[in-house]
Amino acid sequence: MRNRTLMPALLLAIVAGCNGPLDVKSKNTIPTETAISDSTSARAAVAGMYHGLQSLSSYGSDIPEVGDLSADNAEFSGTSTSYGEIDDNQISAFNSAVFDIWSQAYANINSANEILDKLGTLTDLDPATRDELQGEAYFVRALMYHDLVKYFGDVPIRLHPTTDPNAGSTITRSPVSAVYDQILLDLDSAASRISDSSSTTTASGGAVRALRARVLFYRGDYAGAEAEAHAVETDFGYDLAPNYSDLFSTTGNATPEDIFKVIATVHADQQSFLSYDYFAKAVGGTYLLRPTNDIMAAYQPGFDYDEDDPSDWHPTDLRGEWNIQFAGSRKYGAKYRSVTGTENFPVLRLGEIILIRAEALARLNQLPQAVSELNLIQTRANAPIFTLGSHTQQEVIDAIVAERRLELAFEGDRWSDLVRLGIAADVMGIDASQTLYPIPQAEIDVTPGLTQNPGY
Amino acid sequence: MSFSRSIWKIALAACAAASIAQAKAQGTPAPNVAIVRGTVTDSSSHAPVPGAQVVAVGTTRGALTDTAGEYTLRVPPGTLTIRVQRIGYAPSERTVTAALDGTTTADFVLRPVSTVLSEVVVTGYGTQNRAQVTGAVTQVAGQEVQNQPVAGVDAALQGKAAGVQVTQNSGEPGTGISVRVRGAASLSASNQPLYVVDGIPIANDPLAQQLFPAGSEAPTAITGLDPNEIESITVLKDAASAAIYGSRASNGVVMITTKRGLAGKAKFSVDLSTGIQNAATKLKLMDATQYVTYMNEGAINDGDGIQFFAGIDDATSTDWQDAIFRTGPVQNLHMGVSGGSETLRYNVAGSFFKQTGIVLGSAYNRANLRVNVDYDATPKFSLKTSIGLAREHNDRIEGNNSNDGIVTNAIGQPAVYHVRNPDGSFTSTADTTPSNNSEVYSNPVAIGTYDRLPDVTDHILGNLEGNYIFSPHLTLTGSAGVDILHDNENQWRSPLVVGNYAFGAHGVAQTTFDNTNHYLLQSYLTYQGGSDEGSALTVVGGGSIEYNTENSSFLRGEGFSSPEFQYVGSATNLVDFGGIPTANNLESFFGRANYSYKNRYLLQATMRADGSSRFGVNNRWGYFPAVSAGWVISDEPFMGNFGNRFGQLKLRGSFGKTGNQSIPNFAALATYGSANYGSTPGIAPLAFANPNLKWESTKEWDGGLDWYPFGGRISIIADYYHKLTSDLLTRRELPCTIGYCSFFDNIGNVVNRGFEFGLNTVNFKPAARGGFSWNTDFNISFNHNEVTKLNADQPVAGDNYRDISRAAVGQPIGEFYVLHFEGVDPATGDALYSDDRINAGSPQPKWFGGLGNTFGYKNFELRGFLEFSHGAKVFNLMRIFADDGGYSYDNKFAYAMNRWQNPGDLTDEPRASFDGTSGGREISDRFIEDGSYLRIQEITLSYRLPAGLFGARGLTNAKLYVSGHNLHNFTKYTGYDPDVNSNGTSNIDLGTDYYAYPRARTFTLGISGDF
Repeated sequence: MRNRTLMPALLLAIVAGCNGPLDVKSKNTIPTETAISDSTSARAAVAGMYHGLQSLSSYGSDIPEVGDLSADNAEFSGTSTSYGEIDDNQISAFNSAVFDIWSQAYANINSANEILDKLGTLTDLDPATRDELQGEAYFVRALMYHDLVKYFGDVPIRLHPTTDPNAGSTITRSPVSAVYDQILLDLDSAASRISDSSSTTTASGGAVRALRARVLFYRGDYAGAEAEAHAVETDFGYDLAPNYSDLFSTTGNATPEDIFKVIATVHADQQSFLSYDYFAKAVGGTYLLRPTNDIMAAYQPGFDYDEDDPSDWHPTDLRGEWNIQFAGSRKYGAKYRSVTGTENFPVLRLGEIILIRAEALARLNQLPQAVSELNLIQTRANAPIFTLGSHTQQEVIDAIVAERRLELAFEGDRWSDLVRLGIAADVMGIDASQTLYPIPQAEIDVTPGLTQNPGY
Repeated sequence: MSFSRSIWKIALAACAAASIAQAKAQGTPAPNVAIVRGTVTDSSSHAPVPGAQVVAVGTTRGALTDTAGEYTLRVPPGTLTIRVQRIGYAPSERTVTAALDGTTTADFVLRPVSTVLSEVVVTGYGTQNRAQVTGAVTQVAGQEVQNQPVAGVDAALQGKAAGVQVTQNSGEPGTGISVRVRGAASLSASNQPLYVVDGIPIANDPLAQQLFPAGSEAPTAITGLDPNEIESITVLKDAASAAIYGSRASNGVVMITTKRGLAGKAKFSVDLSTGIQNAATKLKLMDATQYVTYMNEGAINDGDGIQFFAGIDDATSTDWQDAIFRTGPVQNLHMGVSGGSETLRYNVAGSFFKQTGIVLGSAYNRANLRVNVDYDATPKFSLKTSIGLAREHNDRIEGNNSNDGIVTNAIGQPAVYHVRNPDGSFTSTADTTPSNNSEVYSNPVAIGTYDRLPDVTDHILGNLEGNYIFSPHLTLTGSAGVDILHDNENQWRSPLVVGNYAFGAHGVAQTTFDNTNHYLLQSYLTYQGGSDEGSALTVVGGGSIEYNTENSSFLRGEGFSSPEFQYVGSATNLVDFGGIPTANNLESFFGRANYSYKNRYLLQATMRADGSSRFGVNNRWGYFPAVSAGWVISDEPFMGNFGNRFGQLKLRGSFGKTGNQSIPNFAALATYGSANYGSTPGIAPLAFANPNLKWESTKEWDGGLDWYPFGGRISIIADYYHKLTSDLLTRRELPCTIGYCSFFDNIGNVVNRGFEFGLNTVNFKPAARGGFSWNTDFNISFNHNEVTKLNADQPVAGDNYRDISRAAVGQPIGEFYVLHFEGVDPATGDALYSDDRINAGSPQPKWFGGLGNTFGYKNFELRGFLEFSHGAKVFNLMRIFADDGGYSYDNKFAYAMNRWQNPGDLTDEPRASFDGTSGGREISDRFIEDGSYLRIQEITLSYRLPAGLFGARGLTNAKLYVSGHNLHNFTKYTGYDPDVNSNGTSNIDLGTDYYAYPRARTFTLGISGDF
């Protein structure tokens, strides 16, 4: 009688046997094959693509930071060796920050590719929505390829997702010109599909034109860049924010100058680390990197950080005053002030577009128009108004480049500018081969067709 | 699925059998009782043998002999086989006829044999006598791991078992231990053995720890078990022994059996010990004057301005290690009561272990309760429960790669900073003195004082087992087990630690809950038969199903109005949260047959089939066969008198296949995960598919011998093995350009081969009670580990800094791969290196083991235990900052003062160099050190109190002891301890010391006894 006790265990075993216990479903992931299946999930996939831009390896910290760290605006003051190498312009092919930037950019491109491919076969999606969402994917893909081409030169062009683990055997680098061609093709596809003109945290028609202006500008097509920049200035209702400091708000508030900002929130996977990394420890940051003495002297001529007292730091240039502050005796980057990482990052803003147009005009030798564009920026910054007088074309270009540095400091543009202008080696005192980042060694290991950049 | 159907069939068959048995049992009138009694004596001394186990074979009836060697058994009348066994004696059996209501006398004379030879080995779904064992199995008695001032059983195993390498990842109480049985084989799946406690395999994946992902400090599944509860530990080492656990067995199986009650008067036992611990070693770091001298010299060498003012900044010097180290008490109390009637036996025990860490802020407490009950409901049917409850409260400290690591910052913080300001407040790196500009580390004393990182786990390990004896030949066993682990981690990062993130964020609180549940149902039939011609056959067969689920949640809040609030509920912002439900299930069928002829020819065959939900649909089921054989050659007639003269000699050989399924759940699937943008819900590609993902499989050959010369006074167990692990579960790298940088695949082979040798000797046997005795236990293991195949033969790097640790074909796993340091140029003081990286040494030892000696005289016993390891290299990763020439502001090892200073200086320390121009900060084998060591792990002196000291009914077996642990470590290593692994859960990043918590030296005083 007592051996009935065995029964429950055996019965349970019997019941268990029927339930197909080996087919266990995940509750926090969904199968790739069915992930994008209707208009709701298509919109979610587009949001997920922007989420990739929030990554710390993307605009959450790395891309804006290395753009100043490699150049003469910022220097390394923490303990991360990967950043130390970037500061020294002695980057190893094993550098983890470079690997992260590379892999995140391609992960974002893959998100875009998934959307572009899968939306094409979805039946219950109205054409307008499909166009809008695909247009955004084209924009993000173009943005990523432009970042890649600026830092790495020739890069592989991937336009479709794959499920083949051996895909690496056929991947090779495409020349810079082909990458630019693809970017412009994507921007044309985006422009023809996006009708949204108001959003500043997702791709809008204005953002597509602004990115196009930047891409043409970096490619040296100054007439094209000038035309695009002019269109952005006049056709979309953008306006300079009244105060420089308005642009950098701890709550991510919008300004009329915003063209495309990446959202940052307190949530860990959407947080920006820009403030945290630049702030001194006394004000709650890690002090991973800090402004150089050189840019301080550029904001306040004659200021010597090593000799002068912190109380001597009072630049009349409002950008210098905002961007660099002191905590005790220590200088630190104060452009971004949300240590909890809630500050939306300005990927494209009107200030940059005006300076693109100014430089393009100068290079087209339309100097008065160039100077009047430049002075829009100067006025707001309380910086000396530039008078054309008898200045040569080169002097005007140099003045615009110098102001561009001050205006866009700590937004990640300086290194690409130095490389674009061909002066990176001179300014930084490095070998010309160090002006391109290395292709990550781990990537070359699994993609035999990838060549390394010279000098690595 | 056809296997689901077969589980049906087996379960139904089992049910039917049980029902028939039940019907039969109901149909038989309750039998009357017969009594068998007798005396058990020693064949050589003729003294009574107390504590011998007497059982009526084929019934649930058993008893123990008392101090006079006498026993009484109540059995059903009829002809019965009575078996007597006791460790240290050969078992003995005889047939008796017990008359109804009568008393039959059966006396036994036991022949003493080697302790090892007589031990009962737990083999999984059954036990075997050591003499019958054909595989490579090591047993460690419970007493070997008791009274150790370490929290876990796994730590206490260090050096005790041949072939079992135990690494203490760090000295932090109650945290990570790496156990490797016959070498590591896997690159991505777990390399920890499977633990089976009282027949229940427990979850052996690394415990999910959200706040402590760094590796070395993650607790292991087994830390919650009180070593005092353990009767024995059996390690199934070769594939043939372990294959009965199939897909989880390729890292070996550790079978733990807890103590059970024996019939008799209630016996109370108590064990109380208390001790103190302090840091066994201190690093020799620069004092303030040395630091200022060195840093300024480095700046001047590189043409920079001086960094510190000599005479001002070094006016006082802080020893940061002294500031965080302390003497910590350790206490252990274990109390139990056991006893019972012949049919209902119990063992109830509780214990409390309390350890204050030697580093400020750390502590570990554990409370245990165990209830083991055996109930013989009828002569045919018995039930047993094994229930263990444990609560661990571990006050951890952040370590390793954290800017808030207490040990990290105490090593890194230069001596020029002070612990406190003149006003008593803690200094911080936000302060502006001394005069340089270096903000590097937060004040470790402030961190230890204000920050908290407690981890509370509740562990329930329970098993209900029923046995029904159909006949002396056939027994049905069914059991249901649970292994439930609730883990609650909290973290408080105080805003009072000026200069860290929490300071700016006004406090950070995190809390996580993680519930891991493992349910198991299993049943199996055991057939035992034999013939008069001396052949014996045992067959076990059955099935099991296991459900594993894990649910976790996580919250992080920031911004607190007061540092008194330390819980996430008071935060201004909820900045992060998460929760992961996950599950995996395992269906299994297993069988084993043992055949022996005249106890001279032994044969064993096993088979297991496992189906796991973790694998790709194309490869769900794995099959794990094994065979082994033994030949007691000394008993062969042609060996003549060999056996009597030279002792019993058994030759063994085995081959088997095992698997490893320890990879994340759902790793085979292509998935999208949640990826929100602002408040817009989003999804993004997460993982790349592999529908062919399957088991990692290990094929292992083993050849060995068991030899017991000099009448069993010496026992020698030696094995040679060759273990090939193939289809390695690997995170294979993908081109990131396709959007994913890696996925799980089965690629690569690893070979482990080696030799193990265990020796137990009775050097001096006392002629009379109280005479001098001396026993020695020694074991040594040699393992050669080599990666023989990888994907496209591309090396796989670990996560260690700059790929310095990797698995490369032709090299052992974790081989360091760095530049070779060729010395310091006497002309310039610059470090010289090879052009390319070289294979610079293995973190795996060439040989390791332990040596224990026990001396007895009268009431005194002296025990000493040495543990050793030879040939492993340790990457002293601290030196990339602490011996970098002054490139970082970190404090430096004092030996950096032997730097090159003038042309012609001959030294191994490059010149000081503030900008790193000397090359001294290059990652090279300059930082790789010899990790060989010989540790005086234990010396214990105990005194057995005379019986009757507290009256006849007072304390018996009372013992006073004083004990020292980790007394000294002979090593050339310059970090705290070469037995270290800062990346504990990593399979490739081995033997790196990145600010590991130092090991304690402990002195304890204890008393134990029964009453």
